[in-house]
Amino acid sequence: MSRLNILVVDDDPVTVILIQKKLVKEDYAVDTAEDGQQAVDKLTKRYYDVILTDLMMPGDIDGIGVLEAAKEWNIKTEVILITAFASIENAIEAMKKGAVDYLQKPINFDELLLRLEKIKNMKMLMKNATDLREAMDVTEQSSAGTIQVLELEVGKLQTLISDINELLLNDNLDAQSRIERVIEKIDT
Amino acid sequence: MLKIKPDEITLFSNYIHKLTGISIDQSKAYLLETRFGRLLQETDSTTYADLYHKARMEPGKHLEKKIIDAITTNETLFFRDTGPFDLLRHKIIPELIDSRIAKANGTRPSLKIWSAACSTGQEVYSIAIVLKELLAKGNYNIKLLGTDISDAAVTQASYGDYNKFEIERGLPKDKLIKYFSSSGSRWKVSDELRSMATFRKINLLTPFTNLGKWDIVFCRNVAIYFTLEDRQKLFSQIAQVLEPDGYLIIGSTESLTGVCPSFVPKRHLRTIFYTKR
Repeated sequence: MSRLNILVVDDDPVTVILIQKKLVKEDYAVDTAEDGQQAVDKLTKRYYDVILTDLMMPGDIDGIGVLEAAKEWNIKTEVILITAFASIENAIEAMKKGAVDYLQKPINFDELLLRLEKIKNMKMLMKNATDLREAMDVTEQSSAGTIQVLELEVGKLQTLISDINELLLNDNLDAQSRIERVIEKIDT
Repeated sequence: MLKIKPDEITLFSNYIHKLTGISIDQSKAYLLETRFGRLLQETDSTTYADLYHKARMEPGKHLEKKIIDAITTNETLFFRDTGPFDLLRHKIIPELIDSRIAKANGTRPSLKIWSAACSTGQEVYSIAIVLKELLAKGNYNIKLLGTDISDAAVTQASYGDYNKFEIERGLPKDKLIKYFSSSGSRWKVSDELRSMATFRKINLLTPFTNLGKWDIVFCRNVAIYFTLEDRQKLFSQIAQVLEPDGYLIIGSTESLTGVCPSFVPKRHLRTIFYTKR
């Protein structure tokens, strides 16, 4: 699988640069946004595998707003929220709204990398399942085509056989005309 | 993983056939091992025979239900293979509605649709969406029934509640937004769609008593797990509950050749359907 695309959102430029540096070093593709509005603008223009966003940011859109927009835009995007203060309520609310995880500031990078690795594995499994499903669909469509042709052909032949049977057993006709009618039937 | 022995395969093969109609031969050891691994642990069974005897002995039949849930395949998605739904929308429903209006003599015409192996409900709700988009509300008596052998599948179908992996599959975004509401990472079907359908457990190989007659029967991708003899039994039972001008839709890779002489295959665009001879 290719590199995960990550969008890092935080109004504190030092945090953003720090996270970006660490993640780029680990070979992730990183984009950044300095507030919720900019994050939403970006996530509606391109797909991110993961959005790592601060919960509390100035402006109209906070971390929960970014989460909601991301999920609304593409259900496959995973969102990790970063909270400055340990707050179980915030974390529960975020998870309820579909966040995959939350981290506390100051960020423990080993922990962050571990979580990203988990998301990467999960996405690989999902891709694997999608590939298998697509392969199954192709096989299914191709065999369905063959089966349809055979099914219709056999259906026609069965009708023909029962018509011929009827003609051959028709007492109102002599042997000669029965045969003639059968040949006529087969020709049509 | 605990290996299953040949005589244990025979035990389970007979038992599962009796419970579900699913045919399992000696080559399916891996299937039984992967599907029953968790049940072995849950029930502290040391062998597969041990699990079998526990299931047989248990008066409440809870374990039996779990065995059915574990062995049935719930591979399904919204609008699985779009062909049958296009067929429904562009041919079957318009034709049936015309004929039912003619029959109804000014009363509300009725339409009865049965999804015989509905799994977790995606097929039923896909049909409900087509009906909803095609027919004016309140003008018709619609009966939409989903049945399945698995209690767990029927329960989930009844809740109409799906996780994001289930919802991502097959459902266009406009329909998702229109007919489902989200709560966190789960999605629930709207009350309006939910109220169109009923669900219950049915074993397709037991006699269809009190089932009534149906205008359209969906029986897709379930007979593939049955022996030829059971398939013959199933489709002749379906022929009996299908209205004379009714429609049968089976899976796209299934065939009724040599299975049921009561049905004639027909084609509309790229989809095959069956009517009674």
